[in-house]
Amino acid sequence: MEAITITLDGVEVGGHPGMTILDLARESGVDIPSLCHDPLLTPIGACRICLVEDERSGRLLASCVTPIESGMVINTQSPKVQERRKTIIKLILASHPDTCLVCDKGNQCELRKIASDMGVGLVGLQKIPLKATIEEVNPFIERDLSKCILCAKCIRADHEIVVQGAIDYIERGFASKPATLNDSPLENSDCTFCGACVAICPTGALMEKKLVYRGTTLTNVSTICPFCGCGCSINLEVKDNQIVRARPGKEGVVSRGALCVKGSYGYDFVHSPERLTSPLVKVNGDFEAVSWDEALAKVASELKRIKETQGPNSLALLGSSKCTNEENYLLQRLARGVLGTNNIDNASRLYSAPSIVGLGSTVGFPGTTNSLNALEQSEVIMVIGANLTSSAPAVGYAVKRAARYKGAKLLLIDPQQTNLSSFAHLWLRPGVGTDLALVNGMARVIVTEGLLDEEFVTRKTDNYEVWSKELEKYTPGYVEEVTGVPGDDVVRTARLFAEANLASIVYGDGITQHLTGTDTVIALANLAMLTGNVGLGGGIFALQRDCNGLGACDMGALPDLLPGYQSVGNPQAIKTFADRWDTDLPSDGGLTAIEMIDHAIEGKVKGMYIVGENPVLSFPNQSLIKEALTSLDFLVVQDMFLTETAKLANVVLPAASFAEKEGTFTNFEGRIQRVCKVIEPIGDSLPDWEIIVQLANSMGNPMPYSSLQQVKEEIQELVPLYQDTGYMDPEAKDMHRGELEKAPLRSRRLYKGQFPSGFGRFSPVQYEPQEETPKDGYPLTLLTGSVLYHSGTGSRSSRSPRLSEFSPESYLEIGEPDATQFGISEGDEVRVVSPTGEVTAVAKFTDVLPEGMLFMPLSFPSTPINQLFGIALDPRAKTPALKACAVKLERIQPRG
Amino acid sequence: MDKVQQVPKPDLKQIEGIIASCKDQKWPLIPLLQRIQEEVGYIPPETINPIARAFGLFPSQVQGVITFYEQFYTTPRGRKVVRVCRGTACHVRGGKTILKLVKQNLGLEEGETSPDLEYTLETVACIGVCALAPNIVIGKETHGNMNPKKVSQLLGDKKGSG
Repeated sequence: MEAITITLDGVEVGGHPGMTILDLARESGVDIPSLCHDPLLTPIGACRICLVEDERSGRLLASCVTPIESGMVINTQSPKVQERRKTIIKLILASHPDTCLVCDKGNQCELRKIASDMGVGLVGLQKIPLKATIEEVNPFIERDLSKCILCAKCIRADHEIVVQGAIDYIERGFASKPATLNDSPLENSDCTFCGACVAICPTGALMEKKLVYRGTTLTNVSTICPFCGCGCSINLEVKDNQIVRARPGKEGVVSRGALCVKGSYGYDFVHSPERLTSPLVKVNGDFEAVSWDEALAKVASELKRIKETQGPNSLALLGSSKCTNEENYLLQRLARGVLGTNNIDNASRLYSAPSIVGLGSTVGFPGTTNSLNALEQSEVIMVIGANLTSSAPAVGYAVKRAARYKGAKLLLIDPQQTNLSSFAHLWLRPGVGTDLALVNGMARVIVTEGLLDEEFVTRKTDNYEVWSKELEKYTPGYVEEVTGVPGDDVVRTARLFAEANLASIVYGDGITQHLTGTDTVIALANLAMLTGNVGLGGGIFALQRDCNGLGACDMGALPDLLPGYQSVGNPQAIKTFADRWDTDLPSDGGLTAIEMIDHAIEGKVKGMYIVGENPVLSFPNQSLIKEALTSLDFLVVQDMFLTETAKLANVVLPAASFAEKEGTFTNFEGRIQRVCKVIEPIGDSLPDWEIIVQLANSMGNPMPYSSLQQVKEEIQELVPLYQDTGYMDPEAKDMHRGELEKAPLRSRRLYKGQFPSGFGRFSPVQYEPQEETPKDGYPLTLLTGSVLYHSGTGSRSSRSPRLSEFSPESYLEIGEPDATQFGISEGDEVRVVSPTGEVTAVAKFTDVLPEGMLFMPLSFPSTPINQLFGIALDPRAKTPALKACAVKLERIQPRG
Repeated sequence: MDKVQQVPKPDLKQIEGIIASCKDQKWPLIPLLQRIQEEVGYIPPETINPIARAFGLFPSQVQGVITFYEQFYTTPRGRKVVRVCRGTACHVRGGKTILKLVKQNLGLEEGETSPDLEYTLETVACIGVCALAPNIVIGKETHGNMNPKKVSQLLGDKKGSG
């Protein structure tokens, strides 16, 4: 590319074609003020503050929208420029209230800053009537459009980053303003309260509601959002050991200027009055606060006693997909090296174990194969079994950006209508639990029509012949019969997917939480390999529900795999760890999460140590789980709150929140990101890693770490996935698994020469009808899932004052035709009954569900929908089916 | 605000047809809105969502375009639109009084539509036939040299006609 040289304030500077004057000036350290420009948004030249003078013609140019041209002579500070900028600021101020003294934006206001820089105080112009404030009841965002300067940053952030489209200009001239459809309050609009507009607004027009502190904070710490598996960077502002504001991290490669409502407003669970502040020991049925020494001594002696009397395998540990990598590493070391058992698992068993098993056995790498950026560059994106808006908002934004602005074709496979439906090129609505037949049907079309990537299949995979023969029965006609998706649509979807150069697959809980989860993941991997979309570009994107679901597995909080997915059956791997830890290690496979419960019921597991997980709500069949946990000799729960599970414990250890500790989270892409300490731990709570190290000390098997850095050194040494990632660099914010980011985009390959195990392996998987579908007496299918305003089982989000105010209780989504059939009106209290159990909820009408299908969120502790599920496990991944079940409805009474 | 008591439900089928017929145009939105207004008389707000869906836009964007242009109406209009000129020439020759009389005769204020959807009253800045001032336009027909008698001849006493 040829460089362009221009003269900027008398100095020659070079830029490249396509740069604007403003871009080049900022790159060269020349300050040009602007109110409407943001590097993340399309420049529109709205505010005119960035005017500069072209000395040759004397013309004034808006530098943010003027491309550089060779030989330009630009003056950014000429008297003409200064005078014009002053006039513009005065005109803006003429329609701006004189309320700077009481404006919550304070000295973060960009308008005030520019006016003050230019010495504009009194305006001397007649005031233009101001717009009225808008009354809104939502607890997140306050709009005072009298302070709006019509820079359209909020509108562009909404359209270009989040791609939600809740607001746009309405009217024109003096009346024009950013508004929702019908100018309704935000809570009645399409707004998802992601907060991107608030973060980008240059004035006080858009502000957080319920500000705790109005001034400018001195401490701002960039860390990682603790909710879903996207791993957005958030910048937390702190005053007096209290987090007062969250903003999207500017450099965040995942968040890119936007969070979701949980990231922007949900952090306040950290300061919930329900936080545990001291260790608790149960005495005669009641908890008593005790010292750490006392609590740890009790835990140590009980665990020791059980180990000695009943054997190490009578103990079981549950690690946390919400704790850091280092904490999960230490916990599995505690299990294996100190307690001597492989009975350790983590809660990602509930939703992502099928990915580890399914992808591990096909592409040989247990997780997402490419970066979010590569997803956004794809020509075709297939989203299957994932409501991205609620379960992975940042991925949703990327997919919507690709579909709306980059020409990507979105193939949406979801029985429910979601926010993505209106972006879909094709939208297929298969019956619940039939995805496997659909995916195999697509593969068959590609094989029979010869659309496969032959070179890729021949050179990089094996078992193709065997596998492709097993596809024969999945004709479009058969697939239509099984899934209800018209055969023609199956063919069209398959062709589109195969013909694209870069095609990606995004899947979530809607795939993994069915009994056939592992098989369906394998089918998806087969499809990706068949079309050459593993490694080169495109890829398989396995979503994670929790912030560190992938990391917990990477760290070996798994019963059959050591850190870095090294099998416990591999003597070499066992020896490596045994030598490093100088102890004997068990080599028999341990129990998975649900198997621990079975063994507790059978009396084989006597003691459990549960860290940051709430099985009473998250595992299926609540009454059985409670029975199992109460039947234990000893239960210790380590958590921030007295959760439903913690209430059953003998000892509760208070853990610090994400904001109170250091460490790393690994997001769904495999990006290792640094979690930074923002505030001191609340009360006597301690970071989980410190608790584990102290517990090992109390048990007489001290772990040789005096700092977290030493834990990291050991991980880097022993976990191949974490080598060459810059993982140890204390300055690095974002460490990516080596090869993903190093190569330029087009040549980027996860598997440069070959797959990790030599070849990708096609594996035949067959569709079998499942139990989850309607049956006698239970005519409806209930789907469950996460919702935007809550996370997981809600143990944190239900304690966030703002999230719980906005979304306080559970509900049952039902289509009007189904409701009429059961005599249910909107707002009625309804009993939802499955063969296993029942819950009650308030009916809410919706038109997003096909007939016969209902939806309930899983995140409300007061409505434990896990009661509806019996325990049925995916035979390979041992993940319980928790996505759908057959139910019937009983109307209780109208509300009120 | 319009004193419209009963708004007939717009025929969404008819509108879907219009949308479908514009689908292949390159810049379809404004011509589409014009056609809907021509055929339905106004742009029913219920059409915003189907239009947005059909053209890959956000509903808020469609609303933005509709409200930007004076020519688009989101409430039903009368079968006869009466436009009274308030240009300089008409003003000098008594346009203000003509407007007052028209208001009295129709029982409408500026921008209002009669409940029976017969008349809508508007003012315009100038219609370009200043030689015949003062002017009013009813539907597509221009009436020049207006005086009180002609106003009552043309519009009679239409008050309460609904």
